[in-house]
Amino acid sequence: MPGIDFDRSTPGNYKRYDMIAYIIKRFLGMIPTFIIISIITFVIVQLPPGDFVTSAQAEIAASGGGMDSSTVEAMRVRYGLDRPILVQYWKWVSGFPRGDFGYSLEWNAPVWDIIAGRLGWTILLSGLALVFMWVVSIPIGIYSARHKYSLGDNVFSFLGFLGLSVPDFMLSLMWLVFATMVLRISASGLHSPQMVDAPWSLTKFLDLLNHLWPPVVIMGIVGTAELIRIMRGNLLDILNQQYVTTARAKGLEEKVVVQKYAVRMAINPLISVLGMQIPKMISSSIIVGLVLSVPTVGPIFLRALITQDMYLAGAILLLMTVMLLIGNLLADIALAWVDPRIRYE
Amino acid sequence: MKKCILILTLSVILLTGISFAALGYQEAPQLAELVQAGKLPPVEERLPEEPLMVKPIEGIGKYGGTWHRGFTGIKDYHAFGRQVYDPMLRWPRDPKDPVQPGLAKEWEWSDEGKTLTLHLRKGLKWSDGHPFTTADITFWWNDIELDTNITAAPHTEWVIDGKPMELEVVDDYTIKLKFSKPNGLAETVGLAFHGNQWPLGFERFGFFAPRHYLEQYHPKYNPEVDYTVFEDKAFDYNTERPVMTAWKISEWGPGATRLVAERNPYYWKVDPEGNQLPYIDELVLTLFEEAEALNLRAIEGGYDMQFRRISLSNYPAFQQNKDRYGYRIFLWPDAVPSKLCYFFNQSIEDDGLRNIFQNPKFRQAMSLAIDREVINEVSYLGLGIPRAFTVVPDSPYFEPDLDQLYAQYDPALANQLLDEIGLKKGTDGFRTQPDGSRLEIIVEGMDWDKATLDEMELVVAAWNDVGVRTSMRTMSREIYWTRACSNEVQIATWTESRAIDPMTDPIWVFPFDERSWMAPAYGTWYKSEGSLGKEPPTYFKEMMALYDQYKVTVDSEKQKEIAKKLVRTHAENVFVIGTVGMTPNVVVVKNDFRNVPDTFTTDWIYMAPGTLDPCHFYFDR
Repeated sequence: MPGIDFDRSTPGNYKRYDMIAYIIKRFLGMIPTFIIISIITFVIVQLPPGDFVTSAQAEIAASGGGMDSSTVEAMRVRYGLDRPILVQYWKWVSGFPRGDFGYSLEWNAPVWDIIAGRLGWTILLSGLALVFMWVVSIPIGIYSARHKYSLGDNVFSFLGFLGLSVPDFMLSLMWLVFATMVLRISASGLHSPQMVDAPWSLTKFLDLLNHLWPPVVIMGIVGTAELIRIMRGNLLDILNQQYVTTARAKGLEEKVVVQKYAVRMAINPLISVLGMQIPKMISSSIIVGLVLSVPTVGPIFLRALITQDMYLAGAILLLMTVMLLIGNLLADIALAWVDPRIRYE
Repeated sequence: MKKCILILTLSVILLTGISFAALGYQEAPQLAELVQAGKLPPVEERLPEEPLMVKPIEGIGKYGGTWHRGFTGIKDYHAFGRQVYDPMLRWPRDPKDPVQPGLAKEWEWSDEGKTLTLHLRKGLKWSDGHPFTTADITFWWNDIELDTNITAAPHTEWVIDGKPMELEVVDDYTIKLKFSKPNGLAETVGLAFHGNQWPLGFERFGFFAPRHYLEQYHPKYNPEVDYTVFEDKAFDYNTERPVMTAWKISEWGPGATRLVAERNPYYWKVDPEGNQLPYIDELVLTLFEEAEALNLRAIEGGYDMQFRRISLSNYPAFQQNKDRYGYRIFLWPDAVPSKLCYFFNQSIEDDGLRNIFQNPKFRQAMSLAIDREVINEVSYLGLGIPRAFTVVPDSPYFEPDLDQLYAQYDPALANQLLDEIGLKKGTDGFRTQPDGSRLEIIVEGMDWDKATLDEMELVVAAWNDVGVRTSMRTMSREIYWTRACSNEVQIATWTESRAIDPMTDPIWVFPFDERSWMAPAYGTWYKSEGSLGKEPPTYFKEMMALYDQYKVTVDSEKQKEIAKKLVRTHAENVFVIGTVGMTPNVVVVKNDFRNVPDTFTTDWIYMAPGTLDPCHFYFDR
C-alpha cells in the first residue's frame, strides 16, 4: 500500500520499526538465557556441602541450642530436601509462570513476600547511586580533560584512585565509626531509633534522607572514580581529533566545541559502560546494605546463602540477573538513541 | 440490737472481703482502661486463683516502657524466647535450689517413681482468655509429640525402655504421667527445660499447646488443611497464636525488620504487692544482619537490656561510652567450661592415633602443655578464668579441686608423660608414634572470630613445643559441623555450654550422641542402642551405664551423687581439654532499667535470663 511505502521511504520510521523488532528479539533472546541462569543459579546455591537443615542445626548449636539427629531428619523430610535434586528444581521453576518464586525455608513464607518490599529499596538505592555517579563524574571528567595535569586534575585523579582502591564495605565501616564516635549520630538503618515508631512527618522524611545519602554516596564512589577516568580519557582522545580541530578552525567558541562536539561523542562509551555499572551497583547494594543495615535485598541474600535457604537465594540471584539483562537492554537502547550511527542487527 | 450487730459484723466482713479482693490485685493502666471500657474482664477474673508470686530482685516496679533489643534474624528466636521462659515447672534462679513451681503449682511422685501427678493452677488462661487446662497437655502429647508427621520420635525423656509415657487426666487441673520405670529426667529435662509451649522456635520441644486454637488447623481434626498449615499456625512467630507468656508477638512477618511483642493481659504472675506482671508494656527487637552493626547500636545506647550477641572484644568501647549514653555494664560469667574446648577423637578410624588419643596420660600431657594465662590475656582481655574443662562453681555437681585438674602450665611434666607412653622425641624435636612412624595431628575448627583463632594458634604452638607436630585447619560452620559429627575430625574444637547441669544433655560428659566429639562413633552407638556406630571401650560403657541409672533415679540426692561421679570421671580423664572458661557476657543495662542483678551465671539450658523473671524488669522513670 502506498501508505506503507511512504512510511518505509522515511528513514526515521524505518529505523523505528527496526528498533521495535530489535527489542522484541532481545526479549525473546532473554528467555533461554533466563532458563540457563535458573539452572546455574540452582546448582550454585546447592554447591556447598550440607543443606538448609544441616546449616540450621549448626547455627542453633552454635548459639547454644541443640537439635538431635531424628529432629533433623524429620525437618529434612518436611522441607522436601530428601527428594532428588531434579524434583526440587522443578518444584521451584514450575511456579515462575504464576509469579511464584518459591518458598523460603527459613522464613516459612513465599519468597516474593519477603523480597518485594526490599526490592524497592534496592532499586531506589542503586538508581540514586547511578545518578550520583553520572552527575558527579561527567563534569569532573570534562574539567579534568580540559585542564590536563593542572592542580585540579591531579587532585581529582588522586581522589578518584583513592575511591577506586578503597572497597565499599570499608567506606561503610569508616562512615559507621565516624558517625557514631565523632558525629554522635545513628548511622545504621533507615531511621534514627527514636524515629522508627513516629508517624510520617517532615522530620521523619528528613531523617530518612539523612540515612539514605551515605549508602548512595558510598555505592557511587567506586563507579564515580571509574567514570571520571573514562570520561577524561575519551574526551582527551576526541579533543585531538580532526573534526574538533576543524570546529576550532571554523572559529567556534571553545565552550561550544567541547560541549556540542566533543562531549557528545565522548559520552557514548559511558553509556555502554552503564550496562556494566548496573551489576556493580547491585552487588554493592548487598554489601553496603549489610554493613549499614539498610533493608535492601542484600542482607537477606547473604543470609539465604549462608543458611542455604536455596529457593530464596536462588530467586534473588535470578531477579538480580533479570535486572541486569533489562539494564543492559536499556543501556543498548539508550546508546542507539544517542548515537545515530548504531545499526540494529 | 443483736440483729443489728450481726448485720454490722457481717457487712464489715463482707466489705473487707470485697475491698481485699478489689485492692488485692492491680494492673497496668492500659489494661485498666480496657476494663473500664468493658473490653476486658477485671484483673481478678483474668488471674488464676493462686497466681505465681515473683520475688523481686531489687524491688516493686512501675508499669510502662518499651524494652529495646537487637537480634540477628528469624533463627535468633531465643533473642525473644528467653525473655519469656514459662514452662510447666521452672528452673530455680540459683541452680543449687530444686526445681520450682511454674504453670503447675504442685507435683508429687508415687508408685515408686513411676507416676508423676501434676496439679495445674486453677483459672489459668491463654492470652486470648480461653482457660488453660490439662486438655492442652494431652493435645500436645497425642497430636504433636506422638504424631509422626510432626515429631519423628517422642523426646527421650518421655520414652523409657522403648515405651512412651501414658497420660491419665484426672480433671481439668490434674494429670498423671505414668512411666514403665522411674523417670529421673521428667522434672528437670521434661518439665523445666522442655516444659514450654511447643515448639520454642526451631528447638521443637514443649509440653503443651493451645488446643482450642490449633485443633482447627490440625489435619486430624480438619481434613481440609495439611501439616504445613499446622506448623505455620503453631509456630512461635505466628502473631495470632495464643500464649502463656508475659508478652506475645504482635508484629512480625516475612521480610520484617523488627519484632514487636506486647503485654499479655491474662499473664498469671504478680509481684508481692499484687501488681499483675509484666511491668514493661512491650518488647521491640530490631533486626541486624550483621553482629557488629548490632554491637554498634548497643554501644550508642540503643538497647535497654541485652547481652545476647554482644561481643566481649567490644568491652573497652562499652566502657568508654557508658556514661555518655546512660547505661551500666555488668560482666555475667557464661556457664562455659571453656570458651574454646578441644576434643581428642577417641573413636577416630586411624588405629595409631586412636590408641594414642585413648591414653589418659596423653590427654593429660596435652592439657599441661598449655599456658592458659597467656591465652586469657591474648584472647579474652584477661576477663576469663583459666581452668580445666568441667562444671562451673554454681553447678550442684561442682567440687573445689575439679576445675584445676591438669590445668597448670607444666611443660616439663607434659614432656615426661609423653616420654612415658612411648612417644619418642626425634632429632628434629618432634615425637614419633610408639611404632616409630610419623606423628602428626590436625586441630580443626570453624571460622571463628579473631580472638578464638588467636587462642587456637597459641594451643597449636604449645603442642608443637612439647614435640607433638600439630597443625590447624578452619572452615565454614556447615562443613565443619558435618565433618565433626561424622567422625572425620582428629581434634575437634567447639564452644560448649551446659556447664551448670550437663546431665540434661550430657554430650560433653561421655559419648552421648554424634555431637559428642570426644568419640562421635561411640556416641552414635549409644544413641542407636548399639545398631550404628562403633562399640566403645569399657571405660565409656561404664559411664553410659551410670547415666542409664541416672535416668531411672527419681530421688534428687541420689541423682546428684551419680552425676558427681560422672563429672569427676570426666575431669580426671581429661575427656575434653579446656583453656579459659566462664568468659563474661557483656550485659548492657540502661541506668533506669531495674531488677537486673549485678552478677548471674548464664546458661542456655537455664534459658538465661529467663530464670531472672524478665516479666518483673521495669523502667524507673
